[in-house]
Amino acid sequence: MIGVLAACAAAVVLLPLSGVMAAAFGEGAARIPLSDVLRYAGTTAVLALCVGALTAVAGAVAAWLVVMHRFPGRSVFTWALALPLAMPAFALAYGYADLLDVAGPLRSTLRETTGQDLPFEIRSPGGAVFVLSAAFYPYVFLAMRAAFLNLPGSAMDAARMLGLGSTAAFFRVALPLTRPALGAGVALAVMETLADYGAVHFLSVQTLTTGVVRAWSVYGSTVSAARFALPLLAAAAVLLWIERAGRRGRVHETGKTRWRSPDPVPLGRGPGLAAAAFCLFLLCAGLLVPAGWLLAHLGAQSPDWSRLAVAARNSLGLGLAGALVTVGLAALLALGSERRPQLVRLASLGYATPGAVMAIGLLAPAGVIWSLSPGSGTALALVLLVLAYAARLMAAALEPIDAGLTRIRPSLPQAAQTLGRSEIGSVLSIRLPLAGGSLLTAGLIVLVDILKELPATLILRPFNFDTLAVIANNYALDERLGQAGAPSLLILLLSLPAVIWLTGRIAAAAPPNGRETRP
Amino acid sequence: MTPLLELRQVSRRFGSRVVVDSVSLELHPGRIACLLGPSGCGKSTLLRLVAGLDRPDQGEIRIGGQCVASAASAAPPEARGVGLVFQDNALFPHLDVEANVGFGLSGLSRADRRREVHRLLDQFQIARLASAWPHSLSGGEQQRVAIARALARAPSVLLLDEPFSGLDGVLKEAVRSALLDDLRRLGATVLVVTHDPEEAMAIADDLFLMSDGRILQAGSPEVLYRQPVGLVAARLLGEMVDIPGMAVAGRVETVLGALAAPGVNDGPVRVGLRPEALQPAGDGAAVRVLARRFAGDGYRLTLDLGGVAASLRWRQAAPAAGETVRVRLDPAGAVVFGDAGEPQVSERLP
Repeated sequence: MIGVLAACAAAVVLLPLSGVMAAAFGEGAARIPLSDVLRYAGTTAVLALCVGALTAVAGAVAAWLVVMHRFPGRSVFTWALALPLAMPAFALAYGYADLLDVAGPLRSTLRETTGQDLPFEIRSPGGAVFVLSAAFYPYVFLAMRAAFLNLPGSAMDAARMLGLGSTAAFFRVALPLTRPALGAGVALAVMETLADYGAVHFLSVQTLTTGVVRAWSVYGSTVSAARFALPLLAAAAVLLWIERAGRRGRVHETGKTRWRSPDPVPLGRGPGLAAAAFCLFLLCAGLLVPAGWLLAHLGAQSPDWSRLAVAARNSLGLGLAGALVTVGLAALLALGSERRPQLVRLASLGYATPGAVMAIGLLAPAGVIWSLSPGSGTALALVLLVLAYAARLMAAALEPIDAGLTRIRPSLPQAAQTLGRSEIGSVLSIRLPLAGGSLLTAGLIVLVDILKELPATLILRPFNFDTLAVIANNYALDERLGQAGAPSLLILLLSLPAVIWLTGRIAAAAPPNGRETRP
Repeated sequence: MTPLLELRQVSRRFGSRVVVDSVSLELHPGRIACLLGPSGCGKSTLLRLVAGLDRPDQGEIRIGGQCVASAASAAPPEARGVGLVFQDNALFPHLDVEANVGFGLSGLSRADRRREVHRLLDQFQIARLASAWPHSLSGGEQQRVAIARALARAPSVLLLDEPFSGLDGVLKEAVRSALLDDLRRLGATVLVVTHDPEEAMAIADDLFLMSDGRILQAGSPEVLYRQPVGLVAARLLGEMVDIPGMAVAGRVETVLGALAAPGVNDGPVRVGLRPEALQPAGDGAAVRVLARRFAGDGYRLTLDLGGVAASLRWRQAAPAAGETVRVRLDPAGAVVFGDAGEPQVSERLP
């Protein structure tokens, strides 16, 4: 029974993926020159590589600093460095584009006072690399922070006793032990890079994902959009494989030895200030500078509050509906995966798949339903949109739920069964209540991601149905950055509590304490 | 009388490994049976097969005369009327004691359930814990709750998996005897799995010795202790050293002297000795002391019995290593086996 339901949940992910495949080999491609496709693919690859490298260094070093060392501000940076997760990448792009604009106040002042200009153009692939790295380094930071916390303290003590300094211990002991986590974190950052539409589009960088949206919106060709999507799908599969390989290593990392986290070493005055400066730089780059700049320019034009309120309601409604549906389906998948582990692997492909691709994949089945019942426009579009979110975020929700369920001692559901409960009865009375915290975690992860989501919403939303991300995008494309700031900051405001809660939860989950208990 | 629980040639394989190998056993109403074996011998798997948490590859399990599991079909655990108390007690951490005990009573009204729960809690003297949370209970209390919970559904058989392994020394003894008293008073039919021979002999009416997935011997604890079918079975119940011997015309010659062994074929044999088989005696055989260790009320000597080391409790003035002592062989603690240790070649001596 649970197996059947789980298979249905997996079908939600597989439907759009197979829709993309089917569309890509259909008729009716727009005339987009191959050279364009190759150029987009090249830019995408360069972005992915550079963002991957930058986030790897920034995230790993930051995590190493806050876990293993004492320095001024450490207790704040431990959680604050994850906060940029609440900031949509496109909002960073708006902020930086305005701040670093050639005609903007910063560079004008610089030119007047020094006679020189910055040798830097933000609307360029280089600018996109900077913006996306600033937005996505927290993925690596969180993965590496958990991994460093899970390092057996004895290994670090042994390294120190054998005469290794902090830097040597990092390269020779900590990094080799946590390489799988690094791979997983970087894979997530790169997946987000591939999926990003709002930031790169605004920075006039053309990638495969902007190609997907353009082929659909400008040329009106689902087939061409699907063809842009195919290389993205292939890249997604590779990244997923890397991320999964990382997870396999994780079991090995923590081992069965008694858990004791490494003791942080105090840094001297100079190195301590340098460490604080580095962390502060990351926090400024990922959150404080762009959010501050947008905030400072809010007053320029008074925002259209009624429109914002409607959009905020839509965003929250979609986010909550998406979170409920996704968590429900993911819980089914997690429960069913005990018998059919291959289901989970299939569902995970969705997470690596950009939202734009998911949306394109749902257009074909949508067309069929539309032609069958023409009156169902708005409702159907909303259902499809929630399905696209669920398909894309299923794996993200699946991970905490799966972890929560495996933490439950197997004897508990078995005891329920020997006490007369059926399999489903024991799921409802024992497993789901015990995994409640994990379900909430999963729901918040999905909620935050949906609040920031742009391309799938752009493609699938009903006519005149705006979310915060959509109006931010519309204002930004009209070069009304002052007004784009308000919805962007609203997204930040709505996601921030969830991100703070999630960060604390990840830190608390660090010691593998075996099971969840509730007083 | 039909047995309440009956296993017929039950086997369970994991991959190529046979974990439970053609096990047959019977359990009669009101008896407390004990399955004793070293860890990894398949006894917990056997328990899970009976509970319905696992299915046999071969054989048949019958409860109350009804077949509940065979290679072809298996009733789910909730349909078997079997209570299982897990090694870790498996109390639901999100429910208090009352809700835990009442968990299986889903068919009753709220008031009936409450009454039934309190009756059980009273029986196990834990009524004061009704609103406590599992994590606040001691090991012994947790176990009582787990047993009350399992008994709430009036199972025909109660299965206990290593029930006392989580408790420490002094407490264990008290918890064990109190619990056994309660279970006997209730007339419960119980199957206990354990790896502790002392515990098994203390609680079992019927004892099953298990090793490598097979039942080696079944019977009362005393018979099993005194008349083991082989060295492996003998050592499951306690220490036993084996020394070489030579059977000639109904007698076995050993370094410690001769034993009467009627019916044993002539030739080399092994003689298994329980610790109590060695007795200090002035007229006994002289054996060399290999080592001496202080043991509180006396000494523990390690003796050289023709190349086999055996220990002996010594309460007199202790000889040093290298000296000799005189010991006698008490036939009550000795068993004659074949040359390879298996199988037994004679009835035990009178």
